[in-house]
Parts: sequence; structure tokens; C-alpha cells
Amino acid sequence: MKAIPQSNLFNMTLVVLALIIVFFLSVPIIKVFIGVGSEKLLETIKDAEAIDSIFLTMKVSAWAMLFVLFTGLPLAYIIARFDFYGKSLLETLIDIPVMIPHTAAGIALLTTFGDTSIGKFFKVFGIEFIGTEYGIMIAMMFLSAPFLINSAKDGFRKVDVRLEKTARTLGASPISVFFRITIPNAKKDIINGSLMMWSRGLGEFGAVVILVYHPMTTPVLIFDRFNSYGLSYSAPLVAVIIGFSMLVFLVVRSITNRL
Amino acid sequence: MDYLKIQDLSSDTGDFSLKNIDLEIQKNEYFVLLGQSGSGKTMLLETIAGLNPCDGSIIYKGEDISLKPTEKREIGFVYQDFALFPNLNVEENIRFSSKYKKIEDAEELFKDIVGFLRLAPLLKRDTQDLSGGEKQRVAIARAIFSRPKILLLDEPLSAIDPTFRNTIMKSLKDIHKRYDVITIHVTHNFREASYLADKIAIIIDGKIKQVGAAKDVLNHPATIEVAKFLGFKNIFPITMLGYGSSSEVYSIDPNMIRVANDGGLKTDYLFDGVVDECMGVVDHYKLFVKVKQHLFFIKVLKRDHDECYANRDSVIQIGFDKKDISLI
Repeated sequence: MKAIPQSNLFNMTLVVLALIIVFFLSVPIIKVFIGVGSEKLLETIKDAEAIDSIFLTMKVSAWAMLFVLFTGLPLAYIIARFDFYGKSLLETLIDIPVMIPHTAAGIALLTTFGDTSIGKFFKVFGIEFIGTEYGIMIAMMFLSAPFLINSAKDGFRKVDVRLEKTARTLGASPISVFFRITIPNAKKDIINGSLMMWSRGLGEFGAVVILVYHPMTTPVLIFDRFNSYGLSYSAPLVAVIIGFSMLVFLVVRSITNRL
Repeated sequence: MDYLKIQDLSSDTGDFSLKNIDLEIQKNEYFVLLGQSGSGKTMLLETIAGLNPCDGSIIYKGEDISLKPTEKREIGFVYQDFALFPNLNVEENIRFSSKYKKIEDAEELFKDIVGFLRLAPLLKRDTQDLSGGEKQRVAIARAIFSRPKILLLDEPLSAIDPTFRNTIMKSLKDIHKRYDVITIHVTHNFREASYLADKIAIIIDGKIKQVGAAKDVLNHPATIEVAKFLGFKNIFPITMLGYGSSSEVYSIDPNMIRVANDGGLKTDYLFDGVVDECMGVVDHYKLFVKVKQHLFFIKVLKRDHDECYANRDSVIQIGFDKKDISLI
């Protein structure tokens, strides 16, 4: 067999350039774990303030995700299925939170839900946004909802509309079709989008810190410790939250892969 | 009594519109809707199924169903690509309708359909792993299992390997009788239509151009447009034949035209013509002959002639008999 002379230079260039970015993306994560060491890691796991903040962050981000599943899936479906006036404007509107600085988003939320008529309206129901979990939730939600909505939109677009039409002819009402045909066939994108939104929510700092300093989410606590005590106090916390989020990711993925 | 009567049905989705459709279908009639792609066939089926807004009425056994939601219309729909639900296996696909409506003698019906369509070995399979023919059987089984009164088939044979088409066409005819459903079968294929149809409607640009018994429609197109669509060749003014008629034009089958260059033809009509072109194709020659301003297309079998009948620009006689012409 004859070997075809290949353009090795091109292949080598590809590999080298790819390796540069792979190193850049992975080394800091690995360094955090190696640099911290197991002793400090265990100490942090036993540290009630750290663990509380991690669970608070995970919980509130999950609430934000559930809220967007409830309201964002219908929105994604409407965009995917119907043509209407102003549709592209609406799609741009959904993307705006991804584009603006997070602190700017925090200010925008503060001027809307702070000491304003909207804020007062929610107060009637006992919901306040400054210094509460609700505040953390809206900050996370504002900046990470587009990930879920856009992913679900793509998922719905991939579901052939004829599947839905056929299901209707077989006796299923529009709502049954949505839950029995549309969602199950778009579930991969919906789950991916949800995980993406949830993990983006975990990392939200800029907007959260403007609305809510206490109770502290993990990013705020990391910032707080770094500012007050320096690197050696904040790094273990970083390692633990990365570890926890990766664990949740793996568990959710392995469950949903079996679905 | 007409079982299914569609009266003055119109629908507009913005991209395309159906205009004033009138159709009548009797019990046990296999109805074929023939039209090219983009002629509005699928849209008409979807409108009958209630998937598009419409004006006009759809009357089934005396009851207007045009305002009923799709899920209450008792319609079975089989799409061209079968639209099997990927999240359900074959059996779950077939039984889908039983979650939403009461199916009479469901188990018996299920067994009967599975037996008739030879689906037993496939029941637990994923729909993605099926061949085109298998998918089609599952899609038909799923539609039939919902005990529809009207079965709408949208190009059901186009995704099937040609070698299996004949068998499947036969089973489609059987299904229609066995499960007592009115069938509307949409296709662009004349052969399919002529084999299956009791009644044919021709749809062009969202309008029904002709409707009638299969034989009549296929052999006697009502307009030049329909004739051209049905593949009629040699459409010329009737005055050419030297007599007047209520028809303006006639058509003659390219296989029915005789040719000679020795004046030995004995046919009802005879013309002198100039050979324009001759092409050899597998078993015959395609001969184009100009008679005055009209270009005749003639097929000459190779087994009757050793070589292309005549050279270009030579004058020959062509002729055909009265019994072979179709008046349009």
C-alpha cells in the first residue's frame, strides 16, 4: 500500500492551536484542586458557612430554573411554532441579558424591583427582593434564562410539526400532544438548556451582589473571603463548588441519558 | 347518500390557498386525489382533518364536522414520511389513540391489525430502526387502530422501495374494505391512481379541475390543462381532422400513430409530414414529425424497424384511426 503524502504542517498547526486553548481552559480548574490540597478541602466541607452558601446557591438556582421551565418553555414553543409580527424583536429581547454586563443587569433589576411600585406590589404578597433569596433568584434568572429558552426553542424546532398533527388526529388534545409528543422529543435540548441555566445561575455574581449581599451565595462568599482574608481562604471554597456542580452535572446526565 | 361531502371548501394559510373545493365520496369508494407537488393535495387533507382554518362545509353522514376540533373528527392520517413518534416504540405508537378515546374491542382489533399487516415481530422495536415499508405499515396500523371513519393517505407509497409497491397497493385496497373506512389517497403518480382509484379528482393550484370515475378521468380529460397534466401528448385543434365538434382539441397517443414512406398507410386520417428529429431510446425510437405548424410525437418500436425510420427533413406519411383519438 502506498502512503498518500499528507500536509503534516497543516495538521500540526491545528493540533498546536487546539492544545493552547485546551490548556487554558483546563489548567486553572486542575490547579485549584491541586493547589488547595485535601486537608483544606475537607476543612471547607466541614465549614458550615461555606456549605450553607453552596446549598443556598444550588437551591435558588434550581428555583430560578424551575420558574423558567414553567414560563420559558411556553415562550420557546410559541417562538418555534408560530410566525407573528415582532417575532425577531422578541428573540433579540431574550438575548439581551446575555450581552449586557452583569452588574448593569443588577442595577436594572434594582431600579425595577427595588423601592418602586413593582417592588411595593410584590411586598403586598410578602415578597421582597433586596437582601432575600427572591432577590438572588431574579438576579440569577435574568441573566441565565436565555440559555434555557434558546435551547428549548431549538429543541422544539427539531420536532416535526407533523408528529403533533398526527397525534391530534389520533384523539390527543393540544395539551396532551405538548406533553406526550413535543416535550419528550425535545427533551435533550430542554435538559441541556436547564443544566446550562442552572450552572450559569450558580456562578452569577455581578447582579446578585448588587441586590443581595447577605445571605451570601457562593460567588459572593468567595469574593468576600478573598477580599478579607486572601487567596488561601477563598481557593478551597472554589474547589468545593466546582466539585459539587460537576457532581450534580454527572448525576443529572446519567439519569437523563437513561430516560 | 354521500358519505363524505365537501362543499365550497376554501382555506388560506398565507403561503397557499385552496379554492372552493367540492367533492362527494360514497361508502366503499377508494378516492384518489391526483396532483403535482405544490398543488395543494396535502393542504386539502390537512384541512379535512381540521388542521387548517377553513370556510365551507365538510359533511360526514349528514353531519357538518367542519367546526369540530381535529381530535374529535375520527380521522386517520398517514403522512408521506409516516410521522412515527420517535419517543415511543412500535406497539406504543399503534396504541397511541387508546389513551385518548374509547376503542371498541381494542384487543381484538389490535390483534387483527398486527396479524393483517404482519407487525408481530416489530412490536417492541424502536421506530428509528425500521425500513420504509415497515414504517408505513406501523403508520397505517396506528391510524386504523383509532377506528377512523375517514382514512387520509398522503403519498403513502413514495417512500417505499418500488419492488414492494404492488404488494402494498393491494393491501391498501384490502384495508379500505376490511376496516370499512372512506379512503382519500393523495398521489402524483398516475399508475398508482389508475390501479387503486374508484374515483379520481385532479387538483391543480389549489382547485379541483376534474372529478369522476377513474377510467373517465384518466381517458377523457376535460380540459387541455388536465390533459397535459395527465401526460397526454399530441394535443391539436380538432379542425385539423376536417370536422367540427363540441370539443376544440383532440389528442392522439404516440403509440397509435402509424408511419410509412411508401404511401402504403390505410388509416382514417392521413398527413404528410417532415421529419424533425429521431432519437433512439432502449426499445423504441422517438420520432418528431412536423405537419404544417404542428409537431407530432410518435413512438416507433425498434423491433418493427431496424433503424431510425427516416432521415431528418425527409417527407413521410403519418396516420391514425378515429377510434384512437381522445376528444378534449
